[in-house]
Amino acid sequence: SLEDLFSSLHSHIQNYEYKQAAKVADQVLAIAPGDEDAVRCKVVALIKSDAIDKTLSAIQAFEGLPIDLRFYKAYCLYRKNKINEALKLLDGLERDPMVLQLESQILYRLGRMGACMESYEKIQKFKIDSLDLKTNIIAALISAG
Amino acid sequence: NPIVLDIAYNSIEFPSLENRM
Ligand SMILES: [K+]
Repeated sequence: SLEDLFSSLHSHIQNYEYKQAAKVADQVLAIAPGDEDAVRCKVVALIKSDAIDKTLSAIQAFEGLPIDLRFYKAYCLYRKNKINEALKLLDGLERDPMVLQLESQILYRLGRMGACMESYEKIQKFKIDSLDLKTNIIAALISAG
Repeated sequence: NPIVLDIAYNSIEFPSLENRM
């Protein structure tokens, strides 16, 4: 049943078995085409298994669905070093911490350190306490001089 | 330039499947 498939999907995710998770998401989609949880699970599972080209193909295949996958596409473009395209995709998205983190990484790669620091300031307003975030802020401060 | 960590990757999360199982 659908419930059994989602249980299996859940346990693969818990065990970091992302390739298997993507396969089970496909099984869900065979029964329930366009299921939003399955679509998002497949996209995230492909990203987490570093299958960036496969993720982009999947996103393209899901294009007709009313599910906003722009952030994931922007992330994949960033990974493929298409940073201007990635930044453009982020334009229409709400500035939540996930979007701001990607934006800061893109701006850093573009060498736009002032704008990069502005993104970090916006992230800090969400009171996120992360050592990795601090590491990136220090990197931007050093690069900004 | 110093290496930047991919914190965007870490922040990408699976949807909650709690009410689907
Ligand atoms: K990575």
